Formats: sequence, structure tokens, C-alpha cells
Amino acid sequence: MVGYILNLLILISISGILAGSLNFIIGYAGIYSLAHAAFFGIAAYTGALIALHVSTSLLIAIPVAMAICAILSLVISLPSLRVRGEYFVVASLGLQMIAFTVFSEWTSVTGGLGGITGVPVATIFGFSLRSLGSMLAVSLACLALVTFAIFALVRTSFGRNLRAIRDNEVAAAAFGKNVALTKTLAVAISSALCAVAGVLYAFHVSFVNPESFTIDASVLVMAMIIIGGTGTVFGPILGALIIHLLPAGLTYLTFLPSRDLASLQQIIYGAAMVLLMIYRPSGLIGRANVKDTWSK
Amino acid sequence: MLFLQLLVDGLQLGALYALMAVGFAMIFGSTRVFHYAHGTTYVIVGYLFYYLAERLHLPWWAAGAAAAAAGVVFGVLLDRWMYRPIQRDEGSFFTVFVASFGIAVVAENVIIILFGASFVSISTPLTRVSDIGGGIVVSYLGMFSVLAAALLFVFLNWFLDRTDVGVALRALSENPDLVRGFGLNPRKLSQYAFAIGSLLVAPAALVATCVTGLTPTAGHRVVLISIAASIIGGIGSLRGAGLGGLILGLAESLAVWKLSTGWSEAVAFIILFAFILARPSGLFGNRARV
Repeated sequence: MVGYILNLLILISISGILAGSLNFIIGYAGIYSLAHAAFFGIAAYTGALIALHVSTSLLIAIPVAMAICAILSLVISLPSLRVRGEYFVVASLGLQMIAFTVFSEWTSVTGGLGGITGVPVATIFGFSLRSLGSMLAVSLACLALVTFAIFALVRTSFGRNLRAIRDNEVAAAAFGKNVALTKTLAVAISSALCAVAGVLYAFHVSFVNPESFTIDASVLVMAMIIIGGTGTVFGPILGALIIHLLPAGLTYLTFLPSRDLASLQQIIYGAAMVLLMIYRPSGLIGRANVKDTWSK
Repeated sequence: MLFLQLLVDGLQLGALYALMAVGFAMIFGSTRVFHYAHGTTYVIVGYLFYYLAERLHLPWWAAGAAAAAAGVVFGVLLDRWMYRPIQRDEGSFFTVFVASFGIAVVAENVIIILFGASFVSISTPLTRVSDIGGGIVVSYLGMFSVLAAALLFVFLNWFLDRTDVGVALRALSENPDLVRGFGLNPRKLSQYAFAIGSLLVAPAALVATCVTGLTPTAGHRVVLISIAASIIGGIGSLRGAGLGGLILGLAESLAVWKLSTGWSEAVAFIILFAFILARPSGLFGNRARV
């Protein structure tokens, strides 16, 4: 039972990092990405490959994965962020679909549909993170660092530029802000922070396969921040908490057929997204004044 | 010879893509709703067709008509019950998008519960191929899809050029305020856009269910193709979206000539990127709009 709870808490921390990094672009910059699971996956594969072939130290795997994700994010953001927001949605959806193809087809590197198994235990400063407790401590520390980084970033002039662009792109450009550059940087930072979650995930579950990084995973992360509240610091963490506790709660409702539980969860998330958009677009702990956050 | 066969296959695929894309462009162009659930309409039509024809053994034409009608009803009800309440509060582009996405997720999983996650297809003698000379083979359904696309586009052209509603819809995409000024109701007009847009995607869903089969997650791909084709053709241009769909279908089919089939999906994405990089306004797009 303790193991189950520790495991759940680790997954919640990892999801909190994922949701926080996606919230950074959706909530503060108004850039909608459907490719977050793709970057999560790229980081997880990178982490797994580094662990198997180079070093098991998190201090090597995480920075390398962050750099790779940031650079790859430029591939979609450089062309598509020059133009309107819709283009980025499409480009990221395309990237998400293509990422799955690459994960499952590029067998010499990714191991195809079987994935990469037997990722060794992570180490940090020479300590082995064999026990769940130590892994949880590291995950929570990463969550805190990522959350603090985002908290600090949105308070710099860069963060103010982002919000200015979110609220009125034309006005921001008129004030001499380099809109395309600011947005591109924001996406690169978001992808890099997302990479932290990917590496932790690869080490925690000790195998990676394409199934974990489909569009469904992107949907899940988006549901977390929309339910929790976009553009808030703790909204994504609350969302991650709700979305992980919901399946745990559903398993107690024994009258539900267990076969359909995964689908039922997705239905609940989807319905929550629809109802929140109609009645409370700013999320559970978002600003009550809708127009502040969402009108363009 | 392989090249010619792939060209013919690509034309059939392109006709289906063109139908999806023009339906999407019709809705997006005149109502500015980023209708992610367009793919859901496709999946609903396909599964209903499968259920009626394969499980209840209705004649295929009755099953197809009922499924297409259900698709139209779904589109119009979404507009009335979901998009309208959101837009009443000045909902932004992304609020609408998230809600539409939510509906797509709900529908996808309801279908998984009802029919299972694996793919379904309908066996029909119409998919049997016949030689049209020189060893090139075509199925009746392939011919049907090209014919259906051509007929629907002729109808759409007539509708948008000659009828009052059609003219009003074109006006709505150009200048909604002016339409309101003339005493027309944009809300009412948007229902027509959703009805026609959903009707256009129906034949694509019917044919694809017979030829390639259908999965509950097929909707995401339909949306990707539709938007990619709209961007290639130029947002706001129906002809452009149709041509964009045709280009994507041909490219995807011809890619098999040189690449393994697993990568053919990537081709649509690469073409989309080339356009976003080099000509974001698309083939027929209005440069000022971008």
C-alpha cells in the first residue's frame, strides 16, 4: 500500500512538471500545443538511451534531454509561429502524429513498438535512487524547481512580454516587442522543462514504448491545466492531482466494468473540458473574470 | 506502371481528402469556429454506417443515408448547444477549440466502449477491383468517391453562387458585421454552414469505412488532413481546400513509390511545413488575412 501511494505521488510529480511546462505556453503565452506528449516521449527515449549507453546520472541525462527537446521544438516553432496561432496548433498536431510514427518505425534506435526495456536505476551525485522514497524526493525536488523556474520567469520582463503578446499580439508588436522571437523562446523553454518529466519517467518506470506518448497523453496534460486553471502557478499541479486521483477513485466504484475504466476517464476529462469552456473558461482556480484571461 | 497505379490510387484518396477539407473550410471560413470535432463527425458517420449495414444488415444505401443524416444533425446540434453558448460570452478562438477538442475526446471514448478500440470495416463486393486497361486496377468505390466529390463540388458551386443562403454565407465569411447590418442572422446562417460542412465529410467516411476500415481515433487524422489542406489551399478558399486535399492524397499515395508505407503519413506533414515556410497564405489565400 505504501509502495502504491509512493508510486502514485511520483507520477503526480512527473505530471505536475509536464502540466506546468505546458501551462507556461498555453496560460502565459496563449500558444496551444498538441505536441507535448511528443516532447515528453523524445526526452524519455533520450533519457533511456543515455542511461543504457552513457551514464545513469540524472545530472547528465536531464540537461542533454532538455537541450535536445529545446532544439527540436525550433523545428515546429520557427516556421509556424511567424504566422497566426492556428498554424501552431496544426503544426504541433502534425508533430505529435509523426512522433508516434518515428517512435514505432525507427526500430534501430527506439526498439519499435516493443520499446526500450531494462533502463537502469538512476543515480544522482553517485547515490543510487533504488528506493521509491528517494525517487519521490528527487521528483518532488524537480517539480519544485520547475514550478519555481516558471514562477520566476513569468515575473521577468520576458514574462510580461509573453502576457502582452497573449492579450494583444498587435499591440505588443506595436510597442516594439519581437513577437516571433519571444514566442519561439517560450516554446523552447517549455519543451526543455517538459524534458525533465520525460527523463524522470523513463528512469521511474524503467522502460519506454511508443504507447505512452500518443495524442491521448497530450490530451491528458491539456486536460490537467484546463481543469486546474490556465495561467496560474498551482492550477496545473491541482489538475495533475485530480487527474491521477480520479482513476484511483474510479477503481473503488466496483459497479463500473473494469474494461471500460480508461475510456470512462477520458470521457470525464473531455466532458469537463467542454463544460468548463462553457461555464468557467478560466479553470477551477483561475481568475473569475473570464475576459481578463481569455478575450484576445 | 506502378507509378500510374499509384497516381490513380492517389486521385481516389485525394477526392476523399478534398471532401473532408472542403467541409472543414466551409465551417471555418464562414463561422471562424475551429471545428476540431469535424473528425468526430467523420467517425460517427463511419461507425453508424458500420452498425446499420454490418450488424443490422440494412441495405447499404439506407444505412449510408441514415449515417450521413446523423452526421449533419450532430454538426448542427454542436453548433447550437456548444459553440453558441461559448460565443455568447465573447469566447475566444482557443476557448472554442478546447471545447471542440473535449467533444472529440468524449465521442472517441464512447465509441471505444460501444465498439472496441480495434478497427472495423465493411466487406462489400464494391471494393473488388477491375482492370481498366494496361494492368491498372480501380474499384467501383474508388470511382464512386471521385464521382461523389465532383458532383458535390458542382452542387456547392451552384449553391454558393446562385442561392440566397449561399450568397449570405459567402458574405458572412467576408464581413460578419455587414451581414448583421443587412438584417440577416449570423447564428442562423452558421447552422447552414455546419449542415453542409458535415454533409460533405459523410461520403468520405462512408467510402473509407469500406475501403480502409475505421478506428475510433481516426478523427485526429481527419482534422490534420482537413486543416493541412485548408492551409495549403489558403484559409478562406473552398477551391483551395479541395485542391489541397487532392494534392495531399496524391502525395501520400506517390510516396509509397519511394518510401515504406509506414512513412506515408509523414508526407502530408512535410508538405504542410513547406507551405507554412514558403507560402503561409496558401495557393489561393488572401495575403492580408495571414
